[in-house]
Amino acid sequence: MLSYADRIASMRETKIRHTLEKRTQNGFTDLDDFGTVPLSEGYEVLPYYNSENGSFYGAAAMAENFCRVLDAHEAYVDPMEMLCGRWRDMLVNYRGDIHYMPDWMKKNEKLRNFVAGDVTAQWSKRWDEKRFPYDDLKPLQKLYNIQTGIDGDAHFACDYSIGLELGFGGFLDKIEKYRTINKGKDEFYDAEEKCVRAMIRFIDRHIAKIDELLSKEKRPEIADSLGKMLKCCKNVRTDAPKNFHEACQWVSFFNCFSRIYTRDGAGFQLDTVLLPYYENDVKNGVLDDETAKFLIANLLLIDPHYYQLSGVDAQDKDITNHLSYLVLEAADMINISCNLTVRYHKNCDQEFFKEAVKYLFKNKNGWPRFCGDAALLDGYMKNGVSKEIARERIAVGCNWMCVPGREFPMNDTVKINIAKVMEVALAELKTKKERSLARLKEIYQKHLKKAVEVTAAGINLHLDHIADVTPELIMNLMFRGSLEKGEDASRCAELYTVGVDGAGLAVVADSFAAIEERVEKQKLLSWDELFDALDNDFADERIRLILSSCAKYCSGEGCADNHAKWLTESFADAVRVQEMPYGRVLVPGWFSWARTIEYGKAVGATPNGRKAGEPISHGANPNPHFRQDGAVTAQSNGIAAVQLGYGNTAPLQIEFDPKISASEGGIEAVMSLVKGHFERGGTLININVLDSEKLLAAADNPDLYPDLVVRVTGFTAYFASLSPEFRQLVIDRFLEGM
Amino acid sequence: MTKGIVADIERSSLHDGPGIRTVVFLKGCPLRCEWCHNPECIKKEPQTLFYSEKCIGCGKCEEGCFSGAKIICGKEMTTDEVMKMVLLDKSYYAEDGGLTISGGEPLMQGEFTLSLAKAAKEHGIHTAIETSLALYDSEVLSSFDLIMFDLKLPDDERHRKYTGIDAKIVKDNILKCSELGIPMLARTPVVIGVNADAETISEISDFLKKVPNVYKYELLPYHPLGTVKQKALGISVRKFEIPTKSLMEELNNYAFIR
Ligand code: SF4
Ligand code: SF4
Repeated sequence: MLSYADRIASMRETKIRHTLEKRTQNGFTDLDDFGTVPLSEGYEVLPYYNSENGSFYGAAAMAENFCRVLDAHEAYVDPMEMLCGRWRDMLVNYRGDIHYMPDWMKKNEKLRNFVAGDVTAQWSKRWDEKRFPYDDLKPLQKLYNIQTGIDGDAHFACDYSIGLELGFGGFLDKIEKYRTINKGKDEFYDAEEKCVRAMIRFIDRHIAKIDELLSKEKRPEIADSLGKMLKCCKNVRTDAPKNFHEACQWVSFFNCFSRIYTRDGAGFQLDTVLLPYYENDVKNGVLDDETAKFLIANLLLIDPHYYQLSGVDAQDKDITNHLSYLVLEAADMINISCNLTVRYHKNCDQEFFKEAVKYLFKNKNGWPRFCGDAALLDGYMKNGVSKEIARERIAVGCNWMCVPGREFPMNDTVKINIAKVMEVALAELKTKKERSLARLKEIYQKHLKKAVEVTAAGINLHLDHIADVTPELIMNLMFRGSLEKGEDASRCAELYTVGVDGAGLAVVADSFAAIEERVEKQKLLSWDELFDALDNDFADERIRLILSSCAKYCSGEGCADNHAKWLTESFADAVRVQEMPYGRVLVPGWFSWARTIEYGKAVGATPNGRKAGEPISHGANPNPHFRQDGAVTAQSNGIAAVQLGYGNTAPLQIEFDPKISASEGGIEAVMSLVKGHFERGGTLININVLDSEKLLAAADNPDLYPDLVVRVTGFTAYFASLSPEFRQLVIDRFLEGM
Repeated sequence: MTKGIVADIERSSLHDGPGIRTVVFLKGCPLRCEWCHNPECIKKEPQTLFYSEKCIGCGKCEEGCFSGAKIICGKEMTTDEVMKMVLLDKSYYAEDGGLTISGGEPLMQGEFTLSLAKAAKEHGIHTAIETSLALYDSEVLSSFDLIMFDLKLPDDERHRKYTGIDAKIVKDNILKCSELGIPMLARTPVVIGVNADAETISEISDFLKKVPNVYKYELLPYHPLGTVKQKALGISVRKFEIPTKSLMEELNNYAFIR
């Protein structure tokens, strides 16, 4: 008889097989794993285009294409599992954007020609440039290497409690109800209805598939499990879920839909949203902890969405509960790329915190990560948000937070490369007679202001029109006021706290420090020599070394840490003074996401001794070799001191091999590190406790370790799937911490 | 203000005592262990280390070296200067982590060591010392919360041969130290050809078991890192074999915790 443990083992094996197969289909990816499964044989979708530039926009076309893609999805049922449904493909692949096209699509000539037949000069056809052009913004966007957020994935969170209460049938009823109230919004309601009906068809295909498998199943325990799966799917087809199993299945289905639509969507506070179902089932004697864990493990396997655990409520009372522990145990059972965030607050259950840290050591799989409740809450409230609502904000992305169902933040989609801004400032300084660091900083601030202005213009363009380009048809279903008003989430949100992240902090801080030390104080180089060296990309290695050997940001020595603080204040000021219409507020953060290589390519040599085209620094992290001892505490102090303070993060990201086992005090040491960082005002910590032997062996031959997961930025990814260049960065960062 | 010669300050150490620690390495050591892992700490005076592989051959040594090829080890620092660094990580020490004074032999700079320990105490920071116990100073030693020491060989002859002094000196100091009533952690660096056999280790272990304050005895495998620094110092390099995992496992039978 197959036990849960046997079934989990089989599920993990399948997952590993899928990772390798997907790499063949999609090529290398520096993205999250997202829980997709490979495309089935003969899978094909012909998209519907309503724009002459070879793409599709607006509610009706999005709904049509969502239905085409979803309808082409074969049912996915693995008898080893208790939950079913998996996604394989997403709408954005069909938007005629060669840059986004996965390998399998490029290989399919017919489809490739159809989709990308009319490649325009436009970088991405996800935005309807014909109707909403922004040519006027492009020169400055390019000059400052801005990631505009225009056409970006939504990066917000919907409120699962709404969907869990209504079910798919409830969505249809609600659409009907408000369609009659809000006259003239038929395109919106038609589109919503069409999507929900396709969802129900998807579930129906699963019901048929389970039926088929059940009729052939010989193993009694698996037949029993399939029987339960069948009943569960029939119940959640239109009705709201009534028990724990149904709630998990419902969420799994919904996640498939939101992923297929925009790859987006986000998780929720797992241990509170599912708690009522768990408690009720346990009370009724229909659920034991082993089954609950198996279901959660299954849920995590289906989609490694960002889920949050623990924390405190609006009265600062601990909300950790038995289910919180079960989630950790379930994640441990399945031990794949999980994106679990444990909210840390001094009032929280410290036993749970310890338990969470234990798993970093036990599995060395990069989960969980930790967010600092105090600093995030205080910061977010500065945007004029009440404590109650600020407490609802959860960690649901790489580096970002969102108030589910209320906030439309464009988080993590808008970035300004400040290394590029510095480069522009240096170029201007070069033309001046009077040259000094003080003058450079002034010019930098002037350009930063311009960069923020053009960024804000891009944000406004996006927010004004995204509903006509990519309305959030799926997430709208669980967004407060959307169906009620017949408005897209982008138009009816209560909060528009739009994240604007700076990237390249360490490069600029170290550059300023090198100028201060070597050019101004010690006069080892003249300004002319510095400019020459930058122009010739450090033809003289000694000059490069003179600059790069200065004390760096996060070292706790020299002046770079002070420059980083200045950069933080000036970035926050520049972002905060920017006026925005319609109650929109810009919120500063430091985060590069996984774009350090791409951003680096746009920037020439920098005064910190970085050569042209080399990657820029990662998020708020220091540059490599910031200290001889690579001290994590030094890094933690440095990063805690550059928090921007409005509720968005500047994460501390560490990869390290503590060379100390959990039992020898490793757990306590990491606990002290986490607590210390948050005490000092830190917001988010991504820790990878690694096994050096394994990582170095994997570097030589990634395929030997298809299950090795590393934390790339805020998300975890399979090491074997990363591009060779990215793998090298992970390894370098790791060796740094040794 | 008390001053001392500091070789290096390492932050975030997880291997020089419990918890997260800042380790201050002081220069000067009366012993001459052939496998010394910190040879740059033996002489008290500042020294230049030369790492040839980092040299870019710019030929401008007099104007300063920036490549990391030429490094000066040894810097005079005041107690306050060192404490400023130590306090940077106060948020992470918790109850068990803190300051470790190491070397070289910290007791070679007894006054400075004492002033650092006292200063850390004033800030409520846990203090530990890593000493060879080739020297003894009850006032300095009793200012620490934890004493980590080595017993490298059990008998005078071999101890003299490999370190320069008799084992008796160290053993007597261990016994005296035990009277201070401070927890003591004993260690032996396992070096093949010197002490890496069951007989030697068990003899050390037997002696240590009779020392009341020794709560733990652990074995550390020899690491050839010191040879890189020996080479950089221009002194003769003696490389030992790295003990295998299975050998360490076998010898670990004599390690103990009580
Ligand atoms: S006691 Fe330590 S520092 Fe002194 S010579 Fe021996 S190993 Fe080197
Ligand atoms: S200055 Fe440094 S890098 Fe240049 S020759 Fe001298 S030792 Fe070598």
